[in-house]
Amino acid sequence: MKIVITGGKHESDYIISMLKKEHHELIVINNDEGFAEYISSKNDIPVFPGDPTKAYCLQDAEAQNADVLLALSDDDTDNYVTCLTAKKLFNIKKTVSKVKNPKNVELFKKLGIDSVISSTYLIAQSILNESSVEDIIKTLSIEDEKIVMLEVPIKKEFAIVDKQIMDIKFPKNMNISCIFRNPHVIIPNGSTVILSDDNLIIVTTPEEQEKLIEFIQKKR
Amino acid sequence: MKKNKFVVIGSGRLGSNIATIMSEKGEDVIIIDADDDSFRKLHESFSGYQVVGDATDLSILENAFIKQAKTVVIATDIDNVNIFLAHVCYYLYDVPKIFVRISDNDKGKLLEGTNIKPIYPFTLSLTEFNELNESEDDV
Repeated sequence: MKIVITGGKHESDYIISMLKKEHHELIVINNDEGFAEYISSKNDIPVFPGDPTKAYCLQDAEAQNADVLLALSDDDTDNYVTCLTAKKLFNIKKTVSKVKNPKNVELFKKLGIDSVISSTYLIAQSILNESSVEDIIKTLSIEDEKIVMLEVPIKKEFAIVDKQIMDIKFPKNMNISCIFRNPHVIIPNGSTVILSDDNLIIVTTPEEQEKLIEFIQKKR
Repeated sequence: MKKNKFVVIGSGRLGSNIATIMSEKGEDVIIIDADDDSFRKLHESFSGYQVVGDATDLSILENAFIKQAKTVVIATDIDNVNIFLAHVCYYLYDVPKIFVRISDNDKGKLLEGTNIKPIYPFTLSLTEFNELNESEDDV
C-alpha cells in the first residue's frame, strides 16, 4: 500500500518503523525540519520537510492516489485541512486523523474524515464498555462503537455447555466468530459443541451485549 | 427556529469592522474571539454581543447562536481554522450565507462544491494594484 504520514513526533516515528517492516510504500511529510532529518536517517527513508496543509507540499511529495493518509500533527484543524486536501485534490482513498479534542471525533467523521483517533476518547470508551460488563470479559469496540467483540470464558456450570450451537437459542444480532479451545482455535459451525473452559469470541452490537452475556452465563 | 443573527468569528481588523458596520445597520450581531482584548477594536457604536472563546469548540459556537445565524463571517488569522469553521457552519449548522477570509488562494479549492464565499486579500490587492497602475498610465 502507498501510505502518506504527515506531522507528529513519536507517533509518526513509531508508525513508520512499524509499517516499514511490512514493506509498504511510505511518504513522510513533517513540518519540523530537524525532526524530518532525524526520522529520515533513523528509518532510512526520504522525509519531505513542509506543511502538508498546502497542496504543493503533497504535490512535491507525490502523494497523488495514495491508499491512506495519516494526519498526526498536534493541531486538529491542521489535520482536518490535510485530510480534506488529500481527499479532494489528491484522490487519496482513506484519511485518518489524530485529534487532541475528543469532541472532534464525531465531528470530523460527520465532515467526511474516514477514521478519527483520540486517545482520550478511546480511554473513555473502554472504561464505559468495561464497566458495563463483568470484569472477566474482555471487550473491543470497532467501527464507531457500532460493533463490539467479546471474549467470554465458559464455565462448566453454564447451561450452554455440551450443547451443539444449532440447538442453543441465542439472542439475535450475534455471531460466535471463533472458539479458543487450548491449544486450538476453532471456527465453529452449527454442529460445534461448546465445552467447559472454551473461550468464545463473539461479535455483537453494544445494545445486545448485556443481554447476550446474561444468556451465556445462565446456569443450568 | 428563526435564522436572524449575524455572527462574526475573529475580532481582528476585518472582523471587528464588519461587526461594527452591520451593528450600525441594525443587525443582531454576535462576535466571537478567543482573546478578550481583541474586542477593543470594536467601535463605540457596536451594540451586539461579545463571546470570548475558541470557536472551533462547538459549544462556544452554539452559545453564540450559530444555529440561528443567517450570515456568518469567518475572519480569524489562520486559514486552516477558517476553512474548518466554514465547513462546520455549512455542513453542520446550515448557515445560509457564509463568508470566509483566506490568505492562501490555493486553499480556496477546498471550498468548491459549497456556496461558501471566499474573500481573498491577495486577489483584492492585486486587482487594486492593476487599477492604480493603469490609472497612473492615463495621466
